[in-house]
Amino acid sequence: MWDSFISIMINILLYIYAFIGQNFGIAIILFTILIRLVLYPLNAQQVKQSGALQDLQKSKKWQEIQKKYKDNKEKLAQEQMALYKEMGVNPFGSCLPTLIQFPIIIGLYQAIIRALAVSPVQLLNLSHHISGGADLIPLNNHFLWMDLSLPEKDFGLAIAGFGIPILAIVVVVTSYLQTKLMTPPSTGSANDQSAQMTKAMGLYMPIFMGWLAYSFSSGLALYFVVSNLATIGQYALMGRLDWNNILPQRASK
Amino acid sequence: MKTKSILTILTLLILAIALSACTGGSTVVASGWASVVADEDTAYFAYNNYVYAINLANGSERWRYPDAPDAAVTFYSTPALSPDGQLIVGGYNHTLYSLDPKTGALNWTYDESTGRYIDSPLITANGIFAPSTDNNLYAIGFNGLPLREPFATENELWATPGTDTQCECMFISSMDHRIYSVDATSGAQGWVTDDLGGAIVGTPALSEDRMLYIGTFANTMIALDADSGGELWHFDAQDWVWGGPAINGDALYFGDLSGAFYALDRQTGEMLWKVAPGTGSIVDTPLVVDDMVYFTVEEGLLVAVQADGSISWQETFEGNTYASPAAAGDLVLVTTSQPEALVVAFDANGAQKWIFSDAGE
Repeated sequence: MWDSFISIMINILLYIYAFIGQNFGIAIILFTILIRLVLYPLNAQQVKQSGALQDLQKSKKWQEIQKKYKDNKEKLAQEQMALYKEMGVNPFGSCLPTLIQFPIIIGLYQAIIRALAVSPVQLLNLSHHISGGADLIPLNNHFLWMDLSLPEKDFGLAIAGFGIPILAIVVVVTSYLQTKLMTPPSTGSANDQSAQMTKAMGLYMPIFMGWLAYSFSSGLALYFVVSNLATIGQYALMGRLDWNNILPQRASK
Repeated sequence: MKTKSILTILTLLILAIALSACTGGSTVVASGWASVVADEDTAYFAYNNYVYAINLANGSERWRYPDAPDAAVTFYSTPALSPDGQLIVGGYNHTLYSLDPKTGALNWTYDESTGRYIDSPLITANGIFAPSTDNNLYAIGFNGLPLREPFATENELWATPGTDTQCECMFISSMDHRIYSVDATSGAQGWVTDDLGGAIVGTPALSEDRMLYIGTFANTMIALDADSGGELWHFDAQDWVWGGPAINGDALYFGDLSGAFYALDRQTGEMLWKVAPGTGSIVDTPLVVDDMVYFTVEEGLLVAVQADGSISWQETFEGNTYASPAAAGDLVLVTTSQPEALVVAFDANGAQKWIFSDAGE
């Protein structure tokens, strides 16, 4: 079942690759954008639901019941459910679109990795997924200065004698921007554990993504960049970007 | 604060494991791909981080190279023995190694390639010819020094070139879908085919009457005139033809990725018979010994077929295999992807004689 799904994804990717004149870098970019467009309605629904949930949790009524029933968890849960019902908010409304999107995103990721097939065993595996198109093999993995099948650490662009991991840096920057722009303002206090966790993840995650981009095939890093930019674009279209998170804040008087 | 840091690190670790799993293993374990080469009493093969020498009498280890594992050194290709007593093996780390077959001591290394060595070098009286994934065929002397500029093709080289001692030519199969005829002495190009429709990763086979046979990813087996490169006939298989064919008299044997194994009349390209004893792909070059044809199937199956297409015997073994069976005295040796059974030795009747394992205690 999963293998059949991956086969479909790989064949779409290869169809795009053949259609645009056999450039795997552009194929990755277009394939990622295509999948993001297909997932846009689900993503929009998820954003809308989670936005409604956040608005509710910032409401006065919500804060009041938190205070009132802080020592009675059972009653608090009952009141929260009543409030969800009253305001027409489904607390799990953003979960279903996420769950549906998840396997598709993993499939996209796997399709790219499997199509990059560097070693004989990987190419043999790829052959089991391809229906036709054997004349496309081996894929043209060269895009800009990159060999998409190799990690950037193996071919890093040398500027003035120094190997600069440009792609990894772009991944770090776009991951950071994505995290910052999409993180809603915290509803809790400054010492709130989850707020601190979110803040820490916002710092560590881009570095971690940069490390992955540096160590894994650069085709994957290209996918990270396009995916980050596509996500930022999607949120911009929905008007959910919070530019205040990256712009310098004026000191409060 | 401590809890926060631990939670963050744990989350990142879980994500790293998940992403690594999704890549299907980014680190390449070079396993079960290399075949065996043997002299009178020793078999040599490469697996992952080592080149091994095994006593043919009982399957015990004589030596391994290097002594201790080095993560930067991995092997995918089958070793080759040179006439002056060297064991040559290409590394997946872009380095070609010359070892002493008796002791495993390093003679020299050749580091000019920027690509990986997938298959063994061709060794002739002229020197060592090593195909690399950087598109080049490197010509190296027996002292490890380059003989001349490498011969460049348009795409990666995954197969040992075929050879013709009569004209001292080599036939290079390239992933650029072409076959190149090259003079082994001068390195000059003779002829090159047009695009044959698919990548070529098997070694071409040359007959005494100068017909050259090669399979392609375009599901075809093609016969060429070895003197001109002109196509004589082609046969449509069911799937990609990965390994090179083997010649025995007027028959040509090869398998495809659907698991079908064919015998063709090599003069006309007409099919004599076809068998499909396994479920996996056939990626190896068949072995012909005394009119018996041996081939392996991916899922761990060694098959012995007689010249009329009747299966004499077939034996399963642990692990997958992608390597050609090799003859060593009275034995037929197969390599697998399982450390518990890296090499399995069978006699001519299919009885298992010994297993070489490197699975530790």
